[in-house]
Amino acid sequence: MSLFNKFLFLFFLSGNLIAQNCPYSISGTITDELTGSPLAFAGIYLEETQQGVLADDAGNYKIQDICQKEVHVRVTHASCEPERFFIDLQENEVKNFLLHHHAELLNEVQVHGSSNEKSTQVSSSLGKVEIVRNGNQNLADILSELTGVSTLKNGSGISKPVIHGLFGNRISILNNGIAQSGQQWGSDHAPEIDAFSADHLSVIKGVNALAYAGSTLGGVVMVEGSPVEDEPHLHGSVNYLYNSNGRGNTLNAKVEKAGKWFRWRMNGTVKMQGDSKTPTYFLTNTGRKEANFSFRADKKLNDKWSSTLNYATFNTEIGILKGSQIGNLTDLETAFNREIPFFTETGFSYSIDVPKQRVSHNLLKLELNGVLSPTQTLRFVYGGQLNNRREFDARRGDRSEKPVLSLNQWSHFFEGKYINDLSENKTLITGIQQTITDNANIPETGISPLIPDYLAYQTSLFGILNVKNNRWFHEFGFRAENKQLNVAQITRTVPRTIKRINQNFTFFSVSAGSQLTLPNHLILNGNVGLAMRPPEVNELYSFGLHQGVSSIEEGNADLKPEKSIKALITANYHKDDFLLFEITPYAQLIDNFIYLQPQREFLLTIRGAFPYFRFEQADALLLGIDALVSIEPTDKIKLINKLTFVHGKNLTDDVPLINIPPLNFSSALQVSFKNIGVAKNNTIEVEVSHTAQQSNLLASQDFVLSPDAYTLLNLRFDTTIEIKKYYISFGLKAANLLNISYRDYLNRLRYFADDTGRNFTLSSRFTF
Amino acid sequence: MKNYLVAFAFLFLISCEKDDPVIENEEELITTLTYKLTASDGTIVEGKFQDLDGDGGNAPTVNSMVLKPNTTYSGSITLLNESVSPIENITTEVEEEGNEHQFFFETTQANMTVSYDDADVNNLPVGLETKVVTGAASSGKLSITLKHEPNKSAMGVADGNIANAGGETDINVVFDVIIQ
Repeated sequence: MSLFNKFLFLFFLSGNLIAQNCPYSISGTITDELTGSPLAFAGIYLEETQQGVLADDAGNYKIQDICQKEVHVRVTHASCEPERFFIDLQENEVKNFLLHHHAELLNEVQVHGSSNEKSTQVSSSLGKVEIVRNGNQNLADILSELTGVSTLKNGSGISKPVIHGLFGNRISILNNGIAQSGQQWGSDHAPEIDAFSADHLSVIKGVNALAYAGSTLGGVVMVEGSPVEDEPHLHGSVNYLYNSNGRGNTLNAKVEKAGKWFRWRMNGTVKMQGDSKTPTYFLTNTGRKEANFSFRADKKLNDKWSSTLNYATFNTEIGILKGSQIGNLTDLETAFNREIPFFTETGFSYSIDVPKQRVSHNLLKLELNGVLSPTQTLRFVYGGQLNNRREFDARRGDRSEKPVLSLNQWSHFFEGKYINDLSENKTLITGIQQTITDNANIPETGISPLIPDYLAYQTSLFGILNVKNNRWFHEFGFRAENKQLNVAQITRTVPRTIKRINQNFTFFSVSAGSQLTLPNHLILNGNVGLAMRPPEVNELYSFGLHQGVSSIEEGNADLKPEKSIKALITANYHKDDFLLFEITPYAQLIDNFIYLQPQREFLLTIRGAFPYFRFEQADALLLGIDALVSIEPTDKIKLINKLTFVHGKNLTDDVPLINIPPLNFSSALQVSFKNIGVAKNNTIEVEVSHTAQQSNLLASQDFVLSPDAYTLLNLRFDTTIEIKKYYISFGLKAANLLNISYRDYLNRLRYFADDTGRNFTLSSRFTF
Repeated sequence: MKNYLVAFAFLFLISCEKDDPVIENEEELITTLTYKLTASDGTIVEGKFQDLDGDGGNAPTVNSMVLKPNTTYSGSITLLNESVSPIENITTEVEEEGNEHQFFFETTQANMTVSYDDADVNNLPVGLETKVVTGAASSGKLSITLKHEPNKSAMGVADGNIANAGGETDINVVFDVIIQ
């Protein structure tokens, strides 16, 4: 079409529109995604034509006389995540919208929506709003909003998720479906994922996540980006957060567009944070820096095949509390008895000195999806990862610039998956996976490595059958795996030589789950599963000193795979919007549970005596309950109560399990109030969170008593300002408002210092 | 389609050995501490703590020191890394970074006092050179601790009191001492 013709065309088109007097209209209902009840007085607004209405008390809306065919629709409701849609309007368009009204109760099934992804998995999720609002924190801290999820920390910068009392090697973290491959074994190793790159985060607590790679014995964390929408305009958001404690700055930008060749999204985040502060003193050397970038492209290749490419890079440098750097047992005891840690400076600083970590992680994922027929789908995935970790300590000479630990891990994952709808009510998912991991110490440390170099090949086959039957939904899963381990270990005796070890583990998992939807808004979801986990390299062959905890740990080459049986049931009930509750009791029995057993003798070295731990096995039992009750007396007031409790026991020795999260419960009162001028979606939340003392512990199981119980008061205020078609959201959060001094049982720095004091976080988000 | 499957199956068959790891030159390791005491008449007493293979493996060896009563000795510490060849002398490293290091000497039951006989660039003690004065016949223990990055200006530290020193312990060995 020449320019002239185009002009003519437009001329006629506009003439037409005027003649027909704006022919388009849109109508429908707006409902709560979870309960299905109508959302009264929800707002609906067309950005291009600036037409907007409020839904009636039954959630119905109608907008008429729309002059433009392609519009962006924005749907809002008090205390809901606002949604934006691009619609190519028909003359009498009928469109029903679902909003996430109960973000705290979302689960996997509802987020994904489609029926063939229906599942009996017991899971909890967080949406985009929660993620960006807390974007200055790291992934595990954001996840701890969920019931049943706690965090194991090493200061404020390093934290890893704990699901139902288990963490590290027993948990699989899936970044867009690829099991995160890094140094998961250390309690001071946080998952290397930028939370901003995710559109939603979920935690699968059950054991029937058999389609995923990695160890799922203790649960799965899923970090997922949603597909880029087929929307021809450039959209995006810019987030900026400032937190007062640590004077942290976080900047994130995200843009996406359905381009001519493919749909794409780019996401970049930079963070800089200085020394955190307890109510009375600075935590010297606890700053961190982070720079992340991710890219996603979706392309439809032809009628049958579509592809997705993901690339993500994560780079960080994290300082570790200077006063936690100690030598032997005597130093540790001296540190315990100090009010304020050694090396505490009187002033604030952004500088990061030793001890510190430098970590970078790169992920490339290619996915090919083929719809072979309406009932058959085929999927191929490749995921490649490179993880580099370097840890630095104060050393003699000019060696502080030389890492004490330097590891490079390559990992390659291949998957072929076939989804076949056997009949209208039956779906069979089968797949084959191969993971190759190559972990190597980089020779630059001048220290005998803590864990040896190794190659691991893991091959897995799985099958999952879903059966739907009226109110019932059943799921049966099977997974068989083989793992070959090829280790090249340097001996502890002099002269040092290389010892080669080959080990082979074959193991399997089975699970069964059922979901029953009762007519009176009660959904029961139960599953039971047997899962096995072969010992990891650190459990088998590590040897050395763990700086932060002043103990020498030794692997045990004779370890057998862990075998776990876990049963859990979730009851999810709602009475209209007034009351919602979700309760999840569970029990997990683990045979050959691998743990660090303190040895009776101290290990004598030239640096003095060290407590000596060896990996051993025992039978363990975990019992727990997660509960969530949300009460909404009016649509302006909501009270959300959460509880997480887990009890762990070593059955063989009849002693408690260590590192089990203490009881935690929280109550939050959310009040939404009227729009004030341009300020919309105004909410105030007051939260009280109580963490009990971990009393299920013998004095001989730790160096010091577990910290006292503590109660934190948190406040939050959120608002959205609407200017023309742009939205700016602001949030102000005050954590530990009363500035109390406390120590947390799962924070390893509790041996040395108090936890962080009051922290104000200002978050702003500009969406276009 | 078939080609894909063949290529895919191939991935499951490959398997190879890990390359030989590089054995690190553990130049920083201290395997041996020798505390040599020389009396004015030239008699020499040596306390030696030795752990040739580093942490773990074989247990370290340590001897006891037999001193004469009411005698003044000049003490000198030598640190070696005997796991490498040629043997490395670590003493000079500590000496060069004297302001970041300090030895502490603590005695229990043995009638002896240890005082510093050297100084770093800030005129604070290091403890590589010391003076030992023994009293009446007795027996007990002598503990020698080397701190890296202690707070030398904290109260009592320059006088040899370890309580406020902080820092990281690089060495902590204990000798049995007999004064007879």
